[in-house]
Amino acid sequence: MSIADQERDDVLLRRAGKGDEEAFTLLYRRHQAALYRFALRMSGNAWTAEEIVQDVFMTLMRDPKKFDPERGTLGAFLYGITRNRVLKHLERSPREISLDERKEDGASLEATLQDFVTPATVAEKRELIELVWAAVLGLPAEFRETVVLCELEELSYEEAAAMIGCPIGTIRSRLYRGRALLMARLEILRNATKRASLPRQAGVGK
Amino acid sequence: MTCNEFEETGWNAERDASLTEAQRAAAASHATSCSRCAALRDSWEATRLELRSLAEVTATLDAPARVEMRLRRQFRTQYHAPKVRRRTAVVAAWGLAAAAVLVGAMSWVKWHSNHENNVALKANEPASNQGSPGQNAADDSQILVADNELNDFTLLPGVLPAETDGSAILSVRLQRGALGALGLPVNEDRASEWIQVDLLVGNDGLPQAVRLPE
Repeated sequence: MSIADQERDDVLLRRAGKGDEEAFTLLYRRHQAALYRFALRMSGNAWTAEEIVQDVFMTLMRDPKKFDPERGTLGAFLYGITRNRVLKHLERSPREISLDERKEDGASLEATLQDFVTPATVAEKRELIELVWAAVLGLPAEFRETVVLCELEELSYEEAAAMIGCPIGTIRSRLYRGRALLMARLEILRNATKRASLPRQAGVGK
Repeated sequence: MTCNEFEETGWNAERDASLTEAQRAAAASHATSCSRCAALRDSWEATRLELRSLAEVTATLDAPARVEMRLRRQFRTQYHAPKVRRRTAVVAAWGLAAAAVLVGAMSWVKWHSNHENNVALKANEPASNQGSPGQNAADDSQILVADNELNDFTLLPGVLPAETDGSAILSVRLQRGALGALGLPVNEDRASEWIQVDLLVGNDGLPQAVRLPE
């Protein structure tokens, strides 16, 4: 680990605020992946996630003094901005996303998956992942966020509560309801996929 | 633990750090005795495995490199462009200040040399009066011309006749009505008419007399 890697976020941010591009780049590289993953997992759209991450760092660049180290870490601050942007984005397009709908979309779930699927990933697993992701994306925003944080990001209940700014009980109940909705939705999607594959198999048999 | 309690907290007891050991044990015990809740938990475990797969394939994702490029470009625009502009403005300001100082210095030098000449001329006057009659006549004619030049001036109201050494003649173009501000009578009908006047400005910078060239 280099000295630059060890430098504290607030120190780097102060340097960036004085026009040090290297410091700003270090901050970006340190935090972008987590924010991008969160935005992607919440939106299911690579373009949206990219725009949100860019917007978050633009905000930091324009007004670095908005971050107060006494109120928390820079990571939490950036996550807060990302979360607001994601929720705003979801409010603007509050539709539920079906698998078919996603596939018609330019930056579809499948296209997104293709970006990172390794050759070792089998087609069946990919289909499964697509189903799960579609089910996650179909959850209402607050449940989706809790599932993403606790199940995908693997944060503890306490950490998730701190991130969202709510009591642990709220996380627990949202996760409970989110889980129920997720399982129901997965069941629906699995049945729909089965129904869709039946005529094809029948056609192949003829 | 009842089925309702299990659904609320027990299904995820292993991960819920806020539960006590007793609550976890109660949840595990309930799952062994209740087939419905056990099935629910197993179903959730299977879903969680699928979620883990999704988490794994998205775990190494980064924002595309173009985002960093765009941000760096924006950073440069924001922080470096204003600096260059500021530097240009500073250089321009210094240039203007230097030019102003130079003009001021040149004016002062010119004024100072004129003033010294006048003083020297005055000091030589008595000596020249005692010189040859021809030379005296020439000097007289110069003084006469100067007198004539000054004689055309009309003293402004309230100004006492004083020495004209160091006074300057300023030729200005103004509206006839503006003469009223100098205390001169103005014909109201022609107040807006533009005229050329010569002002005799004293050492104190105030106009002392006025001349209306024909």
